[in-house]
Amino acid sequence: MTAATFDRTRKSQGESTSTDRAILERYTDQPAGLPRELRTSIERRFHGRPVQLYALADLDVSLRLTEVWLALGPQEVAVASLQGSVPEIRTFPRSAVGAVRLDPGLTCNTLTLLAAPGEPALAQLRFTHRQRRSMENIQFALEQALEGRGVVEADPDAVYAEAVAGPIREAQALVAGNDVAVLWRLLGYLRPYRGAVTFGMASAAALTALQLLPPYLTGYLIDEVIRPVQAGAVSVAQVKGLAWWIVGTIAASHVLRQGCAWARLRWMAILGEHVARDLRTELYEHLQRLSLAFYSRKKTGSLITRVTSDTDRLWEFLALGVVDVSLAVITLLGLSVVLLTLDWRLGLVMTLPIPVLCVWVYFHGQRMNLLFLRAWRKWSNLTDVVADTIPGMKVVKAFHQEGREKARFGQRNSGATDEFNRIHEVWTSFWPALMLAVRAMIVLVWVFAVPRVLGDEAFGSALSSGTFVAFVLYMTMFIPPIEIIGQIARIMNRATSSAHRIFEVLDTEPQVVDEDAAVRLEPVKGEVEFEDVVFGYDGVRQVIKGISFRVAPGEMIGLVGPSGGGKTTVTNLIARFYDPVGGRVRIDGVDLRRIDQGHFREQVGMVLQDPYLFHGTVLENICYGLPDVDFDRAVDAARAANAHDFICELSHGYETLVGERGHTLSGGERQRVSIARAILHDPRILVLDEATSSVDTETEYKIQEALDRLIAGRTVFAIAHRLSTLRRADRLFVVEDGKLKEQGTHAELLAIPGGTYRRLYGMQRQLTSEEGLHPEENSCRTQ
Amino acid sequence: MPNAMTCEKRKDWEEAGLRLEHRHDGQLWAIAGPRECPVWVRHCFPWSAPGRFVSLRDGEEEEVALVRDLGELEVDSRRALERALAEASFVIEVEGVDEVEDEIEIRNFRVRTSNGVRSFQTLRDEWPRTMPDGALLIVDVAGDLYRVADPQTLDVKSRKRLAAFIG
Repeated sequence: MTAATFDRTRKSQGESTSTDRAILERYTDQPAGLPRELRTSIERRFHGRPVQLYALADLDVSLRLTEVWLALGPQEVAVASLQGSVPEIRTFPRSAVGAVRLDPGLTCNTLTLLAAPGEPALAQLRFTHRQRRSMENIQFALEQALEGRGVVEADPDAVYAEAVAGPIREAQALVAGNDVAVLWRLLGYLRPYRGAVTFGMASAAALTALQLLPPYLTGYLIDEVIRPVQAGAVSVAQVKGLAWWIVGTIAASHVLRQGCAWARLRWMAILGEHVARDLRTELYEHLQRLSLAFYSRKKTGSLITRVTSDTDRLWEFLALGVVDVSLAVITLLGLSVVLLTLDWRLGLVMTLPIPVLCVWVYFHGQRMNLLFLRAWRKWSNLTDVVADTIPGMKVVKAFHQEGREKARFGQRNSGATDEFNRIHEVWTSFWPALMLAVRAMIVLVWVFAVPRVLGDEAFGSALSSGTFVAFVLYMTMFIPPIEIIGQIARIMNRATSSAHRIFEVLDTEPQVVDEDAAVRLEPVKGEVEFEDVVFGYDGVRQVIKGISFRVAPGEMIGLVGPSGGGKTTVTNLIARFYDPVGGRVRIDGVDLRRIDQGHFREQVGMVLQDPYLFHGTVLENICYGLPDVDFDRAVDAARAANAHDFICELSHGYETLVGERGHTLSGGERQRVSIARAILHDPRILVLDEATSSVDTETEYKIQEALDRLIAGRTVFAIAHRLSTLRRADRLFVVEDGKLKEQGTHAELLAIPGGTYRRLYGMQRQLTSEEGLHPEENSCRTQ
Repeated sequence: MPNAMTCEKRKDWEEAGLRLEHRHDGQLWAIAGPRECPVWVRHCFPWSAPGRFVSLRDGEEEEVALVRDLGELEVDSRRALERALAEASFVIEVEGVDEVEDEIEIRNFRVRTSNGVRSFQTLRDEWPRTMPDGALLIVDVAGDLYRVADPQTLDVKSRKRLAAFIG
């Protein structure tokens, strides 16, 4: 009996379970697991046998939210309701379950357990899509049992948490991350640049200190030089030197200040670039290490954004944000201290409203966030129209819908413009209002200060003109830090978001890893063996269900069968893009998991249905991975691939740029370039996946001719719907529903009464004869 | 894929006087003359024409019959179909919004429904959809649907929290 598995991440199950439980606790209102007491009660009803799997049914028969648990034991099934004070537990033997049915709805799904189709339901559970994966796990386990197969026992809490938390985890970068920890980790990237950081921060601190000096000196000049001279207390000659010294110091402080500003900007900007470069490099290198499973989970656009925009945002944060925010806080504190020291009463007038202003700026930021969100939504609506219609312009014109599309665009364009204008209305009102408030504070200082300057003791002790002027100058310095402090939340939020996304990738471990003492097969002969191989992409549903075969070096195998049957997965396992969850894949008798991946992949070639060409010249694409190949070998490979002639017709020959993904070439041309690449690569094991589909007959002939040259002397696995590609196959494998249903030569398979191959072959013959083709032309087609 | 066989089959069922009943196996059954089979319902226009165009499909996802209007059916069949539709078309009705918070790549909603509070998450660029009847439809990351029947009748705070998605 073959066992399926629920255990997707065996290596770090404990870690992922705790993350999943944290997700459930933080983001959902449902229990992070089967309640302990209920579990105990259920296991008592199971006569001490453990709960193997469980799921929550969160809707009742009236479609109200509820809490009903479905638990699976080795021999029993339990349905437990927690609606009342005492749990109601109903059990029945697993052996009574003869059929399982899952009916999906818009939001309500129903799992029905039946003794037999048509008989009364043993249990019927309703649940939202959130519970669907965990219910499907139970459905899968029961169906496996009905087929006489078991499932590998796994921690039911981990399976449940993974199933329910999965969609949230997949949607978000790093859910339960701690923002402070992420920021510290990010700042850790500054460590290699300690010297530059210290210098940059010191420059910034000096800049702040220096900007406090001129107002103070100005006040001193007025009080100690100008007023005494005007009052006749001292002569000009007596204070002339002091006056020029003060003016010189003010001038020097301005020069020094700009010098510090220059040093701070340059050092921190360059430092930020270095850190962003380090992050980009680390991220890109890590992306190269990750397994294909990671790429099937993540959107390409999202990964590109992480390497480009997110690292750029972090540059902005490290180069400017860190310094600006810390200096804004220091400046405000410094100014407050200076003002309170100069005159505590006026200082209070100026400093007490500051927290109020910061809160005001914060709420303005919140409002702007909301408005930007609306604008973003409207902007998305607008770009959707453009993204829709430009690629589909042929259809728009064919149906004469230009007018409708113009109206649709116009409507959304106006919508977006209205939103942006709302944003402009708000911020253009806010900043003058804020400035007015600051000016009002300044006026208030004047109101309190002027009588004192004039000597009116009713308002307090006398205030010197110099102190007053210094005050006025300091007051204007309050505005920039208030602006920055109002932006702290946004700056931090942007930086932590980007850091989370980057660290998520960096923290992902490749699923396919080399052992410490990985073996290098030299040379690879090309014998491929599957021994009871089981595999599923999501760890629950099996795509390959116990396949075994042995292929000799140099043998050509044709993989045929219905779409979705598992043919491509077989080739993915041969190339070790994934490791099987059960059984073994052996190459030349050695378990593939023990073989050095890099070395092995050099021995595997692939020609796919939609060949991927990189932006570059035809030559660079042919020689991909082998940059030192001489022109002779490249041309020979192209000739063998029937590509040489069309390449020579290109304006720059082999040095013609093929454009992004090779879009300047036709599908057949791209295919022949990829075959030339495979020929040059000279692999021992070759995979051809629908290499000749979606090309015209003449092109197919040329490609087929090229493939015939390519496959000679190699172990080949060819997936094809047309037997023309497989006419040289030594054996055909019929893969259906994850199993190797039939194997043998074309004649042997045709001789199996009621066989899949025979049926597919018959259907294809019927189709071709209906199309009016001579049967012999297609007599070799498989389906 | 509709083929000649499917169309013929559908015609047969519809012409033979289609009846529907809910049986003790928890399944909706279609009955036409001597033939009967369990069917699943699919709403063709769940939002624009909820009581019309209901496709009845067998276990192989082939259409057994298309009910263009529930009024075409006799009373018992209509009740049975309505019961099945209630489950198949069920969405969670939102009566108030307690929180909308943007996080990394997701948006976190905490809402009040007719029978309790529920939290769910959407992708940040998965915008709530305004339906033809003015309702707001939100799809969470698991695929569950949340419907705000009339956003304008929500309390002030809820409207404010949804302000970015209405209009």
